[in-house]
Amino acid sequence: MSAVWRASRAAVKRRRFQTFILGVVVMVSSAMAIATLGLLAAVSGPFDQAYNAAKGAHVVAEFDSSKATAAQIARAANAPGVEAVAGPYPEAVLHSPSETGDHPMGLAGSFTVVGRDRPDTPVDALELSAGRWATGPGEIVLNEPSFIGLLAIKSEHEVVTPDGVQLKVVGYAASASQSAGGWVTPDQARALHSASLQMLYRFKDAGSDSALKAGMAAATKGLPSDALTGTSSYLAIKANLAKGPNTYVPFLTVFGVLGLIVSVLIVGNVVSGAVVSGFRHIGVLKALGFTPNQVTAVYLAMVTTPAVIGCVLGSVIGGLVGKKLVHQAFFGIFGGDLVMDRATVPTWVYPVVLIGMPVLVALSALIPAMRARRLPAAVAISAGGAQQTGRGLAVQRRLGGSRLPRPVSLGLGWPFARPGRTALTLSTVVLGVMTVTMALGLSASVVKFGQMQKQTDKIQVIVDVNDPKWNPPGPTHSDDQLFALLRSLPGAVHVSAEAPAVTRMAGSSGIVRVGVESGDTAELRPDLVRGRWIEGPNEVVVSSEFWHQHKVSLGDTITLDTSDGPQPEKIVGEGVGGWDVTTLDWNRFIPLSMVQRAQSFSVQLAKGTDPQAYATAVARIDPGLEATVNGASDTIEKVIISVVSTLTTMLIIVSSLGVFNTVVLNTRERRKDLGMLKSIGMTPRQVIAMVVTSVAALGAVGGIVGAPLGMLAHRIIIPITGHGTGLDLPDSMLHVWNWPMVALLALSGSVIAALGAYLPARGAAKAPVAEVLRTE
Amino acid sequence: MIVTVLPMTNTGGYEEREVVVRLTDVRKDFGDYAALDGVSLEIGAGESVAVMGPSGSGKSTLLNMVSGLDRPTGGSVVVGGEDLTRLNEKGLALFRRRRIGMIFQFFNLLDDLPALDNIALSGQLVGLKASAARKRALELMGELGIADRKNIYPASLSGGERQRVATARALMNRPSLLLADEPTGALDSRSGDQVMQLLMDLNQLGQTLLIVTHDPRLAAQCARRVIEVADGRIARDSSVNAAVVANGAVVAGVAR
Ligand SMILES: Nc1ncnc2c1ncn2[C@@H]1O[C@H](COP(=O)(O)OP(=O)(O)OP(=O)(O)O)[C@@H](O)[C@H]1O
Ligand SMILES: [Mg+2]
Repeated sequence: MSAVWRASRAAVKRRRFQTFILGVVVMVSSAMAIATLGLLAAVSGPFDQAYNAAKGAHVVAEFDSSKATAAQIARAANAPGVEAVAGPYPEAVLHSPSETGDHPMGLAGSFTVVGRDRPDTPVDALELSAGRWATGPGEIVLNEPSFIGLLAIKSEHEVVTPDGVQLKVVGYAASASQSAGGWVTPDQARALHSASLQMLYRFKDAGSDSALKAGMAAATKGLPSDALTGTSSYLAIKANLAKGPNTYVPFLTVFGVLGLIVSVLIVGNVVSGAVVSGFRHIGVLKALGFTPNQVTAVYLAMVTTPAVIGCVLGSVIGGLVGKKLVHQAFFGIFGGDLVMDRATVPTWVYPVVLIGMPVLVALSALIPAMRARRLPAAVAISAGGAQQTGRGLAVQRRLGGSRLPRPVSLGLGWPFARPGRTALTLSTVVLGVMTVTMALGLSASVVKFGQMQKQTDKIQVIVDVNDPKWNPPGPTHSDDQLFALLRSLPGAVHVSAEAPAVTRMAGSSGIVRVGVESGDTAELRPDLVRGRWIEGPNEVVVSSEFWHQHKVSLGDTITLDTSDGPQPEKIVGEGVGGWDVTTLDWNRFIPLSMVQRAQSFSVQLAKGTDPQAYATAVARIDPGLEATVNGASDTIEKVIISVVSTLTTMLIIVSSLGVFNTVVLNTRERRKDLGMLKSIGMTPRQVIAMVVTSVAALGAVGGIVGAPLGMLAHRIIIPITGHGTGLDLPDSMLHVWNWPMVALLALSGSVIAALGAYLPARGAAKAPVAEVLRTE
Repeated sequence: MIVTVLPMTNTGGYEEREVVVRLTDVRKDFGDYAALDGVSLEIGAGESVAVMGPSGSGKSTLLNMVSGLDRPTGGSVVVGGEDLTRLNEKGLALFRRRRIGMIFQFFNLLDDLPALDNIALSGQLVGLKASAARKRALELMGELGIADRKNIYPASLSGGERQRVATARALMNRPSLLLADEPTGALDSRSGDQVMQLLMDLNQLGQTLLIVTHDPRLAAQCARRVIEVADGRIARDSSVNAAVVANGAVVAGVAR
């Protein structure tokens, strides 16, 4: 093999530049592949691991304790298919408990307290992050997300129920199943007027909603049909977490696939170029006695070496970038702390890419390498340099008769001389333009999405109300006074107020986040995907996440806990983002909010009003207000846009390198022709014109084909991304194109081509004629 | 090895010789053009044979038949006892690397290997270790008077030096047959003479030679046997006492 190795090393040396391109292309693709696969795996991998490690409940169920006894529930749970259970535990719901001490989380409006005698149960095992378990009356352990870090237990930490019962905080624990807000002893729970029993289940088959349903049916067989009042499935938690990575997965996949295709094209082109320009080389090898297999091996080794190096480097980069992306993907998502520590690019991804990429490269090199193998030795050795093909010459002749300037007509003939290479290059340009188009569309849609969510078209200033406990000073005015003051400031047209609250919904054991709004909400309402805005009492708008999670539709009625008891609420619309449920029922829901007053005001200003001036004016009316101009883009948008532009830049570089490579091959093959043309008086400028023309035509065609393809891809990806993140996106998000932009995009093909062509063109123009004509 | 009696040389004597090359009624068609049209020929060990003829007469094609670089359309080609028409591509490659040394008009060195490695590569191909191959390559370079050029790349060598490197490469595996297609064609007369002298010296040492050349002077000088080819046939073979030739198409080629 050493002769093969020696020869391929020499071949690599001769093609340092192509080898470099190949290495870079493979590096970029490998990095993208690692990051994409890492994110794909992160959608479920880390969650399942973390959840299983914490023995998380597959189903958290609530039973009406007046319909079924604990013993009945426990007996029924002894069913086939049930892997493990914990409970039943008495469960009480506290409406608007208050707290003392500086617990930084705040208690939810509807606060579930479960009576558990111990934390290390077979299902939903809790790990205490501070303090100890509640063992006596008047003690409580609070559910605290682990990312908060260790909270010191202080004597003044207390939870006070609306009835005035004081519960001393003795510990903090995190529940992966999010099964309760706090835990007390079973006796204490009963003392808090527990009316229901909580049961936690793990099933042998928990892969799908229907499996869980079947499992629950088996585990509740024989109980009165109305005993089960609510369930929540771990799949909802999982789906919620998957939203993070799902934001990135669709477009990363598309970029990844495009990257792979471009790599394959370029590798194929590099190797065919090597074979075509290496005819004589192949002939010499054969004359020396290299067997056909050895010749193939020389050409495969030529690309495999840079491919392996590129792949290793790319894997390192991809691993780093991927890890960061995966972390970023979970950041700020409810429950993200559960998987944050485990979220990384899984190990199996590396061997897949490290073996897969070089194999892919070798496969794309195989066709041209087979051609080298079959090339008759006698023909190869007698062929000097370039092999003009007949087709090229015929077209050249016809173009020569046209009225185009000679360098242009000569250049236009080049693509016809090597149709295979032309096709590969054209595809590279098409993919490049497609990427640019898609990336621009994605960015525009993301920006549009941000604008839509933040309603920057309607709301110019957001006024936050300080919470005196965490962010003193608090406001000195009441909500009504603030409304009046904000309206009275110059420029104000509409003002609305909002406060977040937490409640529960009948039939679900999880919590529901409510946005409570008042004021000019009709004018300042968000864009809806379907339905209409709230017009009467007991009407709500739900977010599309809620819509899909609970599988509701317009006109459905849900029952929400309010300070006034359960209330039926009719769903009249679906909004894109925001809280699970938006209500205008201020009086019934505001007691369930943390500070029980408005937390922020949204202000629409008259045209021409300076929002900054308005914000400054707001600061003067009450020291407890913090006004900001609405509009700065969100971090997630920035991340997406930066990821998209990084990927786009990489793909543009790679496509330009592909064109570059083609032009280098073309000019190298035509060195003698070029020398001859120069020797008969063609100026350097004419040479450049000729070479650039040879690919500009390709670029133009590539642009015209690539731009619509990119628009199509955009049209497909946006809804998929929306779906993956649990959002229904209004059509307006797809309407980001305008004609000048599309025209520019179509032209971008020529730009990519000209970028790739200029340097080699200049090189060809500068090459000294004598030397060119002497070599070979 | 096939041992046979062979009509030998201008001296007219008969000697017992190994037959290294035996072509029997070889045809080579390119499309409907016959580049070789029934060529039969035997070359014995230690002979030095010059092939002459006008351009396009089929000289290189003939050489390609002998080296196994190309296959005949008809007839048989036996070289060193091996019937080349029966070998597959791999077999031909193995045959070439052990039995044949080739020298070309335009050298055909690998541009990205220095002189020494260009020569050593052939040795590595037959399984020599890199160090052993280099050692032998260096010996050859010494014998050919180019040892001091060992690390120079082909592009920086003079034409004569390049051809000597090519010759050293051809000799690397002690071929039973050395083929040269216009080895002096790209050289000035002085370098050309040196290369020819080298080939004659090799022949003195027993190396069988088959040289294509345009130059009657060189042919007469170095080859004891001259074969003239015209229109794909052997027009004259000096080893055959009389000019026994097909269709009387004779000698004209030399004059052209
Ligand atoms: N691969 C090929 N395809 C078609 N025709 C060929 C091929 N190779 C050679 N020929 C033709 O066969 C004939 C003999 O060619 P060959 O190269 O053997 O001539 P030659 O005697 O070596 O000429 P020169 O002295 O110019 O090198 C020529 O007419 C040539 O055009
Ligand atoms: Mg010839």
